[in-house]
Parts: sequence; structure tokens; C-alpha cells
Amino acid sequence: MIFKTNKSLSGRIVFYVLSLCILLFIISLSVFYFFSKHQIEEMTYQNAEALTANTVLKIEQILVPITKISNNYQWIIKKLESDPDSLFMLTRKIVESNPEIMGSAIAFEPNYFKEKGLYYSPYSYRSGDSVISMQLGNENYEYFVMDWYQIPVSIAKPYWTEPYYDTGGGNALMTTYSVPIYSDSAGVKRIVGIITMDLALDWFTEIVSSVKILNTGYASVLSRNGTFVTHPKKELIMNQTIFSYAKEINNPELREIGRAMQRKKSDFVSSTLNGVERMMYFTRLPSSDWTLAVIFPKEEIYLPLRSISIILIVVIVVGLILLTFIITRIISKQLVPLRHFAKSARDVAKGNFNVVLPDIRTQDEMKELHDAFDYMQMNLVHYIDTLKDTTTAKEKIESELRIAREIQMGMIPKTFPPFPARKELDQYATLIPAKEVGGDLYDYFIDNERLYFIIGDVSGKGIPASLLMAVTRSLFRSVTLHFSKPSEIVSSLNNTLSENNDSNMFVTLFLGILDLKNGMLSFCNAGHNPPILIHDNSSDFFKVIPNLPLGLIEGFKYKQQEIAIKAESTLLLYTDGLTEAENEQKVLYGEERLHSFVSERKFTSAQNLIEAILKDVDNHVLNAQQSDDLTLLAITFKGVQDKYEKSVTLINEVEQIPLLQQFIEEVGDDLGLNAPLVMKLNLALEEAVTNVILYAYPKVPGKKIIVSVTLKGNDLIFTVTDTGVPFDPTLTENPDLNLSAEERPIGGLGIFLIRQIMNEVTYSRIHDINVFTMKKKIEN
Amino acid sequence: MEIKIENIENETLVRLTGRLDTATAAEFEKAIAPVLQSDMNHVILDCSDFEYISSSGLRLFLVIQKTALAKNGSVTIRKMNAEIKSVFDMTGFTALFSFE
Repeated sequence: MIFKTNKSLSGRIVFYVLSLCILLFIISLSVFYFFSKHQIEEMTYQNAEALTANTVLKIEQILVPITKISNNYQWIIKKLESDPDSLFMLTRKIVESNPEIMGSAIAFEPNYFKEKGLYYSPYSYRSGDSVISMQLGNENYEYFVMDWYQIPVSIAKPYWTEPYYDTGGGNALMTTYSVPIYSDSAGVKRIVGIITMDLALDWFTEIVSSVKILNTGYASVLSRNGTFVTHPKKELIMNQTIFSYAKEINNPELREIGRAMQRKKSDFVSSTLNGVERMMYFTRLPSSDWTLAVIFPKEEIYLPLRSISIILIVVIVVGLILLTFIITRIISKQLVPLRHFAKSARDVAKGNFNVVLPDIRTQDEMKELHDAFDYMQMNLVHYIDTLKDTTTAKEKIESELRIAREIQMGMIPKTFPPFPARKELDQYATLIPAKEVGGDLYDYFIDNERLYFIIGDVSGKGIPASLLMAVTRSLFRSVTLHFSKPSEIVSSLNNTLSENNDSNMFVTLFLGILDLKNGMLSFCNAGHNPPILIHDNSSDFFKVIPNLPLGLIEGFKYKQQEIAIKAESTLLLYTDGLTEAENEQKVLYGEERLHSFVSERKFTSAQNLIEAILKDVDNHVLNAQQSDDLTLLAITFKGVQDKYEKSVTLINEVEQIPLLQQFIEEVGDDLGLNAPLVMKLNLALEEAVTNVILYAYPKVPGKKIIVSVTLKGNDLIFTVTDTGVPFDPTLTENPDLNLSAEERPIGGLGIFLIRQIMNEVTYSRIHDINVFTMKKKIEN
Repeated sequence: MEIKIENIENETLVRLTGRLDTATAAEFEKAIAPVLQSDMNHVILDCSDFEYISSSGLRLFLVIQKTALAKNGSVTIRKMNAEIKSVFDMTGFTALFSFE
């Protein structure tokens, strides 16, 4: 549980803290250990020294008085020299007065007392509760060569003998203190004898044995030549010297120590015995010159240290474990908000920006995180709102552009050839819109043997431009119903457009009316690019009166012009999207280039001309972006057709039938046809037109039907064209004329009548146009 | 197109003046309605001033005849000019009607 949450973070922290603690503890412990070790060693050595000194003191307390005794009795001996026998009393006295002294002898030089003989050594010793006196020296006991006599005599100093067992009296361990006796007869100081005191060493052994140091440390006394006087190993006492023992256990180190003991007064040495390293402190017993050594295993010095260390380590380990638990818990608790933050982050990512953040009371990094989170949330909300707005605005603009484009493209005629029945004309147009709709327009229609056409450019872009373009085009269609002169039409357009023109948008326009019967073109230019007239491999710009663009000044007087168009001439109209098409270096295509391009080539058709120009513009513009609508309208006038031609445009309503009748009657008048024939022609045409109304434009109002007639020789050819759905009247079957009235179906007579009246009836569909042709042979 | 309807004795006289084409067909149909609703005992269609007929008109003439036959009435055409008659001939309508 504790370890699962924020596992890696708190785990890592704990790990690092723990490692650091352990490291610190190890260092501290080591420092403490080594320091303490040193201290303990020092202390132990001091202890050993003190203990030894203390023991020495205790020993000396016994030994020193002994030495003093001999000094005292020296004087008495002198006095008693005259009475040698009294010396027995003296020795007796010595023994009786000093409980530590087991025996005492006063031994003289050979033949010192002539009367006594060679040996004279009065001697008293303790035996049980009584004291026995005797003569020590005799032939069997030549004391002169004894250590206790000879050595002090030769070194002329008091002498403690090596310890020995008193075989005569209880086998006690003894030592003898011998002091030379001086005489200064004849002014020369010489040794005349030795006074001895035998000292039992049991008390001595007791004192030394009671020395305890550390756990198994002990004290040992060695005599001058290294004999073990006291030692825990009883078998060593008096049996071995340190040297013999060293040899026995094959420990040369010990031999060296023995030598050191004899050389130095006191020292600290270490030795290894049976693999155990031991410390030894030895010092001399001042009075006897024996060595007191205190020995203890080195290890035992450190025992207390070891114990403490172990305790410390245990405490530390327990402490660290506790530390681990506590820290882990603390950290986990501190990091609980992190878990909440993680959850909040996921909620925000899901799109919920009102997530409640964990409450942080402290002023630490968690608070920072909290504040940063808060800030992020707010900013996200704000950012997304801004993004939404931007996207909406962008979509709005794009849909506006789309609408503008649709308005524009809906308004311009796109079917080609637009007047297939008119042999005088080869006409083609194209409008390439720019990304941002530019408001170009073109339009045309034929009415009463006159081709009305316009090309224009609305200032501005986008929906406003496209709307103005739509208005202009509609006005064109309606105004031309009332006026027939270009200046009138354009003036009227201008007045309407100038009215309420708050936006000061304007339209440049070129309007032309070409009389197809004689090739006369009357036109009015309103600030538009002058068209080019191409004829016979040369081309010229129209010399136009510029006039003002439409929509600026209401009531402006527009002036029109007339020009005769020769046969096989082409009118090329365009907008400035062509001449101002620029490449990446901002170089314009220009009038010059257009002029020379159209002059230098022969073109097979109006379409061919326009397509070639477009390609040339493409070659100029290359990768640069198109900035304005590019519009081209080419009208090739093939010349007045000297056949009779007439046409009328009708709307697809039955109410227009009278107009058709009027048209047919005019044709009859023009050609001098008799009344029955005229009636029959009327009937046939009415049937044809009615069929178109009913079947080509089913339920679609406001559509055009063009009825035209030409006279070719003796053939009178009527053509009915419409842009409705494909409808072939010739497919209808002839009715059965033999049915009775009841049986006759209503309908199906139209085409039959036509067939009966006309000589030849054909249908074809050209591009998107139904073309229904009826031929009647007439005699003229 | 003008239509005058007179009921004389047991005759219904329908005088047609002008043109009966697709444009005027609806008007004619409306005007004829009362005649079609009558028993059509004896209907006379006076075409003296009748100038022109197209297939829409022929259709209506056929309706008149069918309705009359269904009612056991009769329809007679009076004084149709030659042009219109030729149309009737062309379409075989001449056989469907009686003429005066």
C-alpha cells in the first residue's frame, strides 16, 4: 500500500536518503571506533601501568622493610663481634621479631672467627611455632660458594637470591635477602660476612596472583634470570625460565621479551602466544630487581568497544529501518496531491477544463504546480475559444467566397456554341475566377436579329462584388427590353446602379449591339478595357470613348459609337484580369503582348483563339497566384447571311403562343406566303413549341425557347432550340387514326400534325441544347 | 378566343370565335364546362368565325365528343372553314364528328 503509490519517486528518495544515512553512519561509526579503540588502548595501558605500579608498591611494602632491617642489624652485629656466640641470639631475635622472615643467618668469611674455625654462620629459622637456632656452615654445607653468600660478596651489594624451595621446611617458595657486612679495620672497608633473611614468598604469590586485569589478564613475576616466580601456570613456577619456556613452545618472540626484561626497567611489549596476541607491561621490583609483568590478551582490550559497537550497529539498523518506514510514509503523504494532479491532467485532456484542482495549503513546490496547472487550464480555455472564433471566422469567409463564386458562375452563360443556329456567329467565352471572387461578368443574347453583348468588371471582391455583378447582369437583361440604343441602355444601367450606391462600388462595362443583318456594331464603353478587332491577321484596339464606369455619377451622359464589322472579323473582349496577369516577378502580361499574340496567328475558331490566349497567359504567369478574374469573350462575325433568317425568343409559357403566331405571320409577310400555308406553319410551330414547354422544360419556368427560320432555296427551315432536358419529339409514335372517339386517346397529336404539315423533321442534341428542325418545301 | 353559349329550345349552341391554341385552350375548357355538365342532347358547335385550331384544341373537341357519347347526346359541327377542316382531315377527326 505505501509502496505502491508513488512507488518510484518515494522509493528513490528513500533509497537516496537511506544510502546517505548509511554512509554517514558508517563514517561516524568508523571514526568513533578507531578513535575509541585508540583511547581504550591508551587507557588500558595506563591501567596496566597503574595496576603494576600498585602491585609493585604492595610488594615493596613488604620487601623494603626487610632491607631496612639488615641496615639496622649491621650496627648491632658490629657490636656483637666480640662475642660471636651472641650472634645466635641475634639471628633468633631477627626471626622472632619479623613474622615475614622465615630464617636469618649471619655468615662470616672463612676463618673470620679463628676460634670458630672455617665456617661460622649462626642461623635461626622458624619451625612451626618455635624458632630453632643452629650452625649453618659445615663440611657438608660450604656456604662460601652458595649464591646467597658468594654473589653479594662479589658484587659488594645486597642481593636477593633466586627463589628456591625450602626443602627443609615445608617446601615453601623462598627467597633470601643477603646483605654484606662491612668492617673498616685498619681504615679499609672490607666485607667480612653476609647477613641473610629468608623470606617466604607465599604472601608474595598471593599479592601477584590477585592481580586481575580485564578478563583473563594476569600478573607474573620473574626473577633476575628469568625464572617464573609466580604464574597462573603453576607448572612453570621455578621449573622454567622465560627462555626455556620460549624454547619449549618455540616462540622466539618470548625470548626477546625475556631479554628485554633483563635490559630495560619497564616496557610495553606485545607477543603472540598460541595465536593469541597479548600485551605485556613489565617493570622491575626496585628492591629485588625482579620483574613484574602484567599480561592481557590484546583482544580483551577491545571487548567493551566491541560490545558498544555491536549495540550501536543494532541501534542504527533498527533506526534506519524505522527511518525508512517513516520517510516513506511522509513522502507518500506529501505526494498524494501529485496523484490528484495526474488525475486532473487526464480530465483536462478529455476536454473538461473546469477540473477542480487539489487544495494546496503549503507555499512550496506543490503550490507552484497547482498554480501552474490552474494557469494552464485558464489559458487552454482561452486558447480554445480563440481557436473556435478563428475557425468560425475562417469558415465564414470561405463559405462567403463559395457563395460569391456560385452567384457569379450561375449568372454567366456557359453553353457553347450559344447560337448554333446562327450562321453569322462563332462565339466563345471563358471566365476563370480568381481565388477571391473578382466580380467579372459577361452576357449576351440575340433579339430581333441583333446580338446584344456585354463584358464587365465589378470593383471589389467577394460577395458584394458578385452581388453587384448579378444586379448588373439582371438589369442588362431587363433594360434591353425597353431601350435599343447602347447609350440609353448604359445610361439606364448607370442610373440604377448609382442610386443608393453607398459602397461606391462601380462596374466597368463594354456593351455592344451587333446588327446581324448588316454587321453594324453600335457600342458604349463605360470605363472598360477597349476590345480588339481582329481581321485578316491584323488587330487593332477599338478607339473607345472611355466614359465613366457605371455606378459612380447618376445621370452621366454616356456616348455611344458605331463601327462597321467586316465579315470574318473577330471581336475580342477581355477584362483586366488578362492584361494585368502577373508572374512572380510582378511583370504584367500587358496589352502589347496580347496585341502581338493575336496579330501573329491564325485561329480556327473563337474557341481556338481563346484557348490559345489562355495558354499564352499561362506561360507568362507560371506559378504565380492569380489575383483577379480573367474573362475573355470572342465573337467572330462571319458576315451577313444573305439567306433569309429570322428568329424569335420565347419564354416557356403557353401565354407566349400569340408571340409565336405573330412571328409566323411576319415570316409569312416577309416571304409572301399564302394564308393556309401560314396557318399550317403556325400549327406545326405551335405544336413543336408546346412540346418543348411541356416536355423539355417540365415545371421549370422562365426558360427560353428560340424559334428561328431560314430560307434555303425552296426550303423553309424552322429550328426550335431549347436548353431543357433531352427531349426527342420524333420518338413519339403516330396515333391510330382509325380508333373511334371513345377509343382515341387524348394527346399524341402534336408531332403527328407536324409530320403531316412539314416535309422533314429532325432532332438532335448539340451540347446541352435540344435542336428540333422542321423543313417545308415552298414554291416561291 | 371567344365563346358564346346559347340554349335554344333543346339545342345548345356554342359559338366559337377566334383561335383555339395552347394559350387559349384553358379558357375554352373553362367556358365549355357547363355544356359538358348538361345532358348534351343536341350540341352544335358553330365554327363560322373559328380561325385556328391546334392539338390542344383538338383534344378539347375530342373531350366534348366523348362526353356527349357517354351521355347519349350528340355534337354537330357547323360551318367549319376549309383550313380547319383540313386539320380535322389530317388527324382523322373528321370521322369522329358530324358536320352540317
